[in-house]
Amino acid sequence: MFVLRFLVRRLLQGVVIVFLVSALIFTLLRVVPGDPVRLMAGGMAPEALIEEIATEMGLRDPIPVQFARYIGGVFRGDFGQSFVRPASGAAVGGASFDDSTRGERARVLTLIAETAPMTIQLALLAMVFALMIALPIGIAGGLNPGRWPDRMALYLSSIFVSLPNFWLGIVLALVVSVKWQLVPSIGYHGFAYTILPAFVLAIEIAPFLIRTLTVSVSGVMAQNFIDIARVRGLSWGQIVFRHALKNASVPLLNLLGVQFSMLLGGVLVIEFIFDYPGLGLLTINAVMQRDFPLIQGIAIITAAAFVLINIVVDLAATAIDPRLDY
Amino acid sequence: METATQTDPVLRVEGLSVAAGERAVLSDISFDLHPREILAVIGESGSGKTVLARALASWLADPLRVTGGKILFRGKDLVKDPALARRLAGREIAYVGGNPAGALDPTMTVGAQLVEKLRAVRPDISSAEAKRKAIQLLDAVRIPAAAKRFEEYPFQYSGGMMQRAMIVDALISDPPLLIADNITQPLDVTVAAQILKLMRDLNHQFSTAVLFICSSLPVACDASDRVMVLNQGRVAEMQPPAALIRDPQSGYTRKLIAELPRLWDETTHAPAEERGAPVPVLSIRDVAKAYRIRRRGEAGLSVVQAVRNVSFDVYQGDNFGVVGESGCGKSSLMRLLTGLERPDHGEIVFDGADVGSAPASKLREMRRKFQLVLQDPYGSLPPQWPIGKILEEPLKIHGIGSAAERRERARSVMNEVGLPDGYYNHLTGGLSAGQRQRLNVARAMILEPRLLIMDETLSALDQTEQGKLLDLFERLQAQHGFTYIFISHDLTMVRRVCSRIAVMYLGEVVEVAPNERLFFDPGHPYSRALLSAAPTLEDRRYRPEDCLLEGEPPSPIDLPPGCAFASRCPHAFDRCRRENPVLVNRGGRALAACFLNEPASASLENAHA
Repeated sequence: MFVLRFLVRRLLQGVVIVFLVSALIFTLLRVVPGDPVRLMAGGMAPEALIEEIATEMGLRDPIPVQFARYIGGVFRGDFGQSFVRPASGAAVGGASFDDSTRGERARVLTLIAETAPMTIQLALLAMVFALMIALPIGIAGGLNPGRWPDRMALYLSSIFVSLPNFWLGIVLALVVSVKWQLVPSIGYHGFAYTILPAFVLAIEIAPFLIRTLTVSVSGVMAQNFIDIARVRGLSWGQIVFRHALKNASVPLLNLLGVQFSMLLGGVLVIEFIFDYPGLGLLTINAVMQRDFPLIQGIAIITAAAFVLINIVVDLAATAIDPRLDY
Repeated sequence: METATQTDPVLRVEGLSVAAGERAVLSDISFDLHPREILAVIGESGSGKTVLARALASWLADPLRVTGGKILFRGKDLVKDPALARRLAGREIAYVGGNPAGALDPTMTVGAQLVEKLRAVRPDISSAEAKRKAIQLLDAVRIPAAAKRFEEYPFQYSGGMMQRAMIVDALISDPPLLIADNITQPLDVTVAAQILKLMRDLNHQFSTAVLFICSSLPVACDASDRVMVLNQGRVAEMQPPAALIRDPQSGYTRKLIAELPRLWDETTHAPAEERGAPVPVLSIRDVAKAYRIRRRGEAGLSVVQAVRNVSFDVYQGDNFGVVGESGCGKSSLMRLLTGLERPDHGEIVFDGADVGSAPASKLREMRRKFQLVLQDPYGSLPPQWPIGKILEEPLKIHGIGSAAERRERARSVMNEVGLPDGYYNHLTGGLSAGQRQRLNVARAMILEPRLLIMDETLSALDQTEQGKLLDLFERLQAQHGFTYIFISHDLTMVRRVCSRIAVMYLGEVVEVAPNERLFFDPGHPYSRALLSAAPTLEDRRYRPEDCLLEGEPPSPIDLPPGCAFASRCPHAFDRCRRENPVLVNRGGRALAACFLNEPASASLENAHA
């Protein structure tokens, strides 16, 4: 009953949020300079032709009208077609303004459906690596505040945070893939290609997780019920694993939700460097090509993903700590 | 437990000394504790009571450590054998602390934690058996619907119930020794009285020896077979309670007894009722405030009736007291009086204008005339501000005076409340709790208000400091003609200071009476219950057995019809459960809301008084 009410309320809120995000993205895309028709038709196309194409595509209608038309499609599950990408594959350039194959442009939803699983796989593996690094370091730091594990956690976090991800990506690709030939990278021809970019992302995320863990574990360890648990006769293991970590996990869970959302929405640099065919790479290309429908589609889908992840995180947090009532 | 006879002490402490670094905290403590015996340990804050409790529970944290002596538990020295001490903790030596609110993991049910604890110290007991025992004990400490409560989380327990649960937690492993460290400290008097009674019963039932640490001499004497008085880490004396009171051996004990405020002593100075002209400064008529909250697992909102049907007048120069237990609506009432919140209906007339409906700008203007002093001496002052700036802020807000005049004014109030002039540029960090409350009073009076509302202003201070501040209040009143409202749970303080007193129960004022009248002839059964539970060494005018029923105040959500106190009132009859009595004049400006005061039942009332 509680869960049902919670889900209904949060999903309704989510629909509103996604709607607002799409309206914002839609408007901004049309307000900023850069005419997609000019890019599609090419620099040499005559002005009259550009106007003709633009009008035909509805790009000269008032923005609210365009938005209404677009959002109507979205509610029917139609995110429109890419301006630039043909259904067959590679992006087309600007030279061929007398393009007769407009009908065969790729559908936005198809493009996203092809790339999103790749990014989800990358994000999940990155989270797993990040937790493998952060859990032991962070918990040890939190259990020994002020002593060497705590300081080590701080120093390691500082080092991780100061490594620029593009630099680390390039160095690891050079050393691990090219020189040592341990795992492949650049492009994607199988799961192994996910490992290196995921590791680079994990190094980027780990400091935040470590910091949150040390703070929340040491905070919980200082609480009365932990202090008194020993006098009540509980063993150290019971105190730490059954009580301290459970209580400390809620802030970590919230952070994981945020980090996972960010990974889904914006691993632009890493996907670009490793030429990893995920949402990030798709986004970069879409932006560079002024591919409005694709950018909008990606924005709406990631916004929806943010909303869903948040709902899952809050639900999990309530399951851990029944005092929380979202 | 059968092995321990009356002659074998469960616990023998010989020459125990504990130090923090170089400083001795406990010196040469020796005593025996026999099965079934309750030994109370009392002393003021800093006397080493809690350190003693922790030393016995092998729970000393850095920098505290045992520097000498023995703690013999059934003949085995726990100081020499920390591994044994660890094995005994929670199993043979149980500990209950004074802060039940944070004592259990908030994310697990109380029942699960009781089972976890029992199985941690007694792995041979099955989960089902542990659960059966936990429910049985929860029942024994009179937690209603124990089997259902077993499945609830700590945050669903009230403070009093949580303390009962912690007692179950301590007793569930049948320990021969229970260390009770200030267990009644955070509880309301009527609940604390029940817990003490419960501890006595359990002590008989389970032959547990109890070391009862406590900071109140009356409570210690009530609860124990022998009382040990600690003074600066040394045993001042040890005697049975009656002998201790009759014939104290040490000067320190004599001083403690002499300092105790008395409720019914004829010599107690109680302020006269009508000091000023009978002009109401503040007039409250039929005020009510309800909050809407969402309860888990329920659709819709529940209504918490925080304040209901409250009416009283406060006269110029009055010391008006508002007493009641936690959750009775004292603080909600304070928020209404100061205009922090608006009442749902009724009016609060101050100086001819209604605080409850005044627009924000008018309210700010009115606030110059009534000021509030809060309970928490730490949270109520900004830590990064120098004292002078804190004092000048109210003047700035109201645009009074030039910078030089404001500084002059700040220095003069500092002088009046007894803060040294040199503190003007100091931060608040170095101030003691008492000095902080002086600063709070100075900040409130710098605007020269007519009415000062003291919301538990003195409860964070110890006896001596309280006395000094009360003297200060009296002096300020004589000089400036202040009217005070004291909101408090402390009957002895109210008895000493207030001229008229309102008693609140579950959001309602059940009695308003002049000081003497309330303490010698209370008109409401709840007032009698409060008086019967008040910790004092005097012969009680009202015995808890007659006045106090088990249980805690019902929840202010979904109140039953009729009198709110009916569920705990020993005199409740049918009518009390049907209709809610209103305040009725009993003569001499004393009002009470009880059917027993009606002429028809007057004889009944006399029989019980």
